[in-house]
Amino acid sequence: MDYITDKRILLVDDEPELLDMVVSILRDDGFGNIRTAGSVKEALEAAAEFGPELAILDVMLPDGDGFTLMKQLKATADYPILFLTARGEDEDKFQGFGLGADDYMVKPFLPKELIFRIRAILRRSYRDEKPLVKLHGSEIDFARGEVRKNGLRIPLTAKEFELLSTLYRNEGRIVTIDSLCEAAWGDNPFGYENSLMVHIRRIREKIEENPSSPVSLVTVKGLGYKLMAKE
Amino acid sequence: MKSIPKLIRRFLLILLLSTALLLALNLAVLALISANQTPGAAPWTTAKEAAAALRKTENGYQLSKEMAQELHSENVWALFIDNHTLNVLWTSDNLPDAVPVDYDASDIAYLTRGYIADYPTFTGESDRGLMILGYPKDRFWKQMNPAWDYDFIANLPKTLLAALAANAVLLLLIYVAANSSLLRSVNPIAEGIQQLPDGQPIHVKETGTLSQLAHSINETSHMLQRQKYDLAKKETARANWIAGVSHDIRTPLSMIMGYADQLENSVDLPEIQRQKAMVIRRQSEKIRALISDLNLASKLEYNMQPVNLRPEKLVPLVRKVVVDFMNMDIKNHYPIVWNTNKAAETCIIHTDRDLLQRAVSNLIQNSINHNEAGCQISISVTAAQGKCRVLVEDDGIGVSSEQLEKLNHKAHYMVCDTNVSEQCHGLGLLLVKQIIAAHQGEVRMGSSASGGFSVELTLPRK
Repeated sequence: MDYITDKRILLVDDEPELLDMVVSILRDDGFGNIRTAGSVKEALEAAAEFGPELAILDVMLPDGDGFTLMKQLKATADYPILFLTARGEDEDKFQGFGLGADDYMVKPFLPKELIFRIRAILRRSYRDEKPLVKLHGSEIDFARGEVRKNGLRIPLTAKEFELLSTLYRNEGRIVTIDSLCEAAWGDNPFGYENSLMVHIRRIREKIEENPSSPVSLVTVKGLGYKLMAKE
Repeated sequence: MKSIPKLIRRFLLILLLSTALLLALNLAVLALISANQTPGAAPWTTAKEAAAALRKTENGYQLSKEMAQELHSENVWALFIDNHTLNVLWTSDNLPDAVPVDYDASDIAYLTRGYIADYPTFTGESDRGLMILGYPKDRFWKQMNPAWDYDFIANLPKTLLAALAANAVLLLLIYVAANSSLLRSVNPIAEGIQQLPDGQPIHVKETGTLSQLAHSINETSHMLQRQKYDLAKKETARANWIAGVSHDIRTPLSMIMGYADQLENSVDLPEIQRQKAMVIRRQSEKIRALISDLNLASKLEYNMQPVNLRPEKLVPLVRKVVVDFMNMDIKNHYPIVWNTNKAAETCIIHTDRDLLQRAVSNLIQNSINHNEAGCQISISVTAAQGKCRVLVEDDGIGVSSEQLEKLNHKAHYMVCDTNVSEQCHGLGLLLVKQIIAAHQGEVRMGSSASGGFSVELTLPRK
């Protein structure tokens, strides 16, 4: 997963102490390419010079607001934006207007919450150049869309690929049945839960050593599934 | 306020009907009295009896004693005319001088239905002659029997009916006119009063007899508007104040929480220091929950939070909350048991997704907050007739029955003005109540089978 921690991250907030803390959280998790800015002006300069692959913006800045800054940043290059906001009511803006933000976090947050959001956005936005996910007893090669097990290469169908990608983005965490259905079939009022079970069984046949007692793709009864990578 | 026109209509109708009734009653009484007075009864009969009571004796004609008495008592004079000779055969003693004692046929024809010297006369015949009684001048109304027009008498029933109908029509016209004029002045007032509770500004035209009333209504409406505005302003100020404070706390709290978490996970620190950092982190998480609860609760209380109800499947919504908690609870201190039935899977409710998720999340967080040693939380979604239920239970320390009573019935300090000194329950549960109320649902708090705390949310099904 190292390709993610190499990404260039631009942090914009007018509180230097908060910047310090976020930087330390990111460093603790292995991120090394970090640049900070305390205003819109500094942010635009830093962006031009640094070429960020992810920007984390505060909504309220001394010389402007984060939404305008986002538009200016996106005008030159397209990369994901994560907002930090101290206002609960901003939630409505993010959800209602589809401003083009990739995600937002309401302050205060726990380090692990922030790290999870950042990793999820980066995985969604940037494909791993060498995405080889090691599982117990097999490996998933997302670049080729196949599973390697016992020296065999087993191709994944489009739906299986979608499901595994979604599970991998949330590796170690439960993904709800509903999120998986949405990933594979889109937002549909009629559940595809039975189809999902069929696909999960086929994926297990491909990735598990013993599909009837799975260790990599675990069922959480009634709720969802969890992909456990080896490490 | 349909009742006012109805009231007026009924009042007028009763008034007119009673007028008509009174008139009819009077007519009836009049008819009864005049029936007792019909001419032909008393004087004509007396005249006939008097004719019969006159006897021829040796000393000429003599009236019987009783008759003489009767005539005398009524102050009536009498004379008797022979049939053949037209001579006056007998007169009473009290015959006035003005009364002539010679008659020819034309005189007789006249007096049979008329007067002699202004005395009303009545005749009674016997086989010998004609008895004439003369009553005192003021005893009867002078009235020559008129010759009624034949058509008039023949058409009398029809005429009477027509008159009756004309009267009825006239009454109806009076009624309609009175009614409409009254309603014209009362209706705007009634409408004004009716609209007052809607809270919209009202203006009633201040003219006519009821202009003062209209003025009062306008004044009242104005006052209500002003109060409403003042109240809204005050509530907005309060909600904004809470929002402002919570905003200002968020950034410093971010740093407390972030650094505490880092210290807690720092391998360089001794275990005891990390424990302390954990306490700081946990408490700041509580403050975080409190801030957002306070903010949302105040907005809901002051109607500043839009509640957008849309049809949604309940199970995926709750499932998302549960999974989020399970993903955060890495150490598995709070294992969650999930239960749904088949019927619940298709249960669709009208809900504001974010708010309802917040409610369920608060319930789970509540169990976690009150059971620091850990507990098992079980969440079930079930569907019944017209309703969906979400039950969140834990096997933790639970609450006493007195506390439960308070939780279910006592208002929160934010809601209640009095009794502030009394310990009220946390904001988290208040928020749950508010959110479920916005969904027209019910919240019931109780004890779980294992002695822990349980909350049941009942939501109306779409």
